[in-house]
Amino acid sequence: MTAPAIARLDLKRLAVQPFPWVLAGIVVAMMAWQFLLGLSAFLHAQPTVPGATAAIGFTDGVIGPYFLNFLQLCLVIAPLVTMQALAGERGDQRLALLGAAGASGLQIVAGKFLARLAFLWLLLVVVASMPLVLSGATHIDWGQFAAVLVATALCVAALTAIGIAASAFAPGPALAAAAALLIGEGLSLIDAGVRLAGGGGGWLGHLALHTHLAPALRGLMRSEDIVYFLLVTALALALAIRRVGAERERG
Amino acid sequence: MAEEGALLQLDRIGRRLGGRSVLRDVSFTLGRGDVLGLLGVNGAGKSTTLAVIAGVLAPDAGTVRIGGRDVAEDVRALRGRIGWVPESVPLWPELNLTEALDASGRLRGMPRTARRTAIERELARFELTGLARRLCGQLSLGQKRRAGLAQALLHEPDLLLLDEPGNGLDPVQAAQLREAIGSLSPGRGIILSSHDLAEVEAMCNRVVVLHEGSVRHDARLGGEPGWLDAQFRAIAVSPASAAA
Repeated sequence: MTAPAIARLDLKRLAVQPFPWVLAGIVVAMMAWQFLLGLSAFLHAQPTVPGATAAIGFTDGVIGPYFLNFLQLCLVIAPLVTMQALAGERGDQRLALLGAAGASGLQIVAGKFLARLAFLWLLLVVVASMPLVLSGATHIDWGQFAAVLVATALCVAALTAIGIAASAFAPGPALAAAAALLIGEGLSLIDAGVRLAGGGGGWLGHLALHTHLAPALRGLMRSEDIVYFLLVTALALALAIRRVGAERERG
Repeated sequence: MAEEGALLQLDRIGRRLGGRSVLRDVSFTLGRGDVLGLLGVNGAGKSTTLAVIAGVLAPDAGTVRIGGRDVAEDVRALRGRIGWVPESVPLWPELNLTEALDASGRLRGMPRTARRTAIERELARFELTGLARRLCGQLSLGQKRRAGLAQALLHEPDLLLLDEPGNGLDPVQAAQLREAIGSLSPGRGIILSSHDLAEVEAMCNRVVVLHEGSVRHDARLGGEPGWLDAQFRAIAVSPASAAA
């Protein structure tokens, strides 16, 4: 009962603050621009592609890169949305108040995570609806679209969980955002050097975000990729729960 | 040591924070109808004592019992019997007062109708009905303190913990707050921390003086005027504190 109450409270607080709305507005505007650019590049490339049957489809040429751009933005916006979640609540003893009301570390972290995930998933729905307006005019590969959407949603969940964990450990919101951004970018670029050198990535490749996104962008939803995103999410949330649970002992 | 049927019993509570012993063997009891003033200079351990009772901080040693039951054994059930108002009243500034109180009731697991009734009752009790739609971030300090009391009393706790309730209030607001707190004592126990002797003398029937984390004095009030002042000064400038 307490976790949904905390999620509802935080969602309401997000809804009445200008910052999330401004952030959402900027993201939607940037994604609309990205979509138009992608669409324009696709339309210009079409006549030059030899053989209509071998041409790159709308889903491959526009939707895949479009969602990848959204995830690049999420590396920045997820830390901004989550930075206040726990780090911003300590100073005024609002976190202590939740504890005094009987909420456990698990309930507090789950509530905070769900509220921010709901906000970011809502943003994802808006972003995902943009390519859909052309569904009547072009052929969309719905299987590939679903794979991209699911992978993006899971990746957003992982980035949100990382943000919540950073907010649990950091003494202030700015540090929490910086830490979450560093971890997110680190996971994104961890095998960049190996890839640039032409290597396969090895075990570093297994840790990298793009390794688990690339198959979904081609329409392939592998169980190992789902497990990767769920593991990152669960690990980050477990660390946050442990930290918040220890606040009573640590003081 | 423990009073028979005491609402609250602290038994040899110890707590370290930042490598420093903040509470040492703190023991006292509180009965229903008692308004206990927790006095002490800054850093004496007043807020830490209240946080330990509220369950926000775990004690390193000792036990806290409410109605005879150890808080450590049934934290969640016993927290429902406590209302805690920290020094910085933790209201959500972006919500209006009714929304904030509703969220507090929801966090306590109160059903919708009970929440609605309790909110109306507490808004009326603290003369906040006219401010029900005002954002918490726009309330004055006195209004915030009264809102904090309303928030802490929504679930009708047996034990009310107030951390420096009169801090920063003007004389009119302080008088209003004293009147409000005075009306709450029948049937419940109240502990308020303060370093304002006049405030404690006006509101409390008992006083515990903390100094450097230890209980130095525990007595009922009602002596001659100036008695508490003399006691407090004697403790606050004791050789131990001078050495520190």
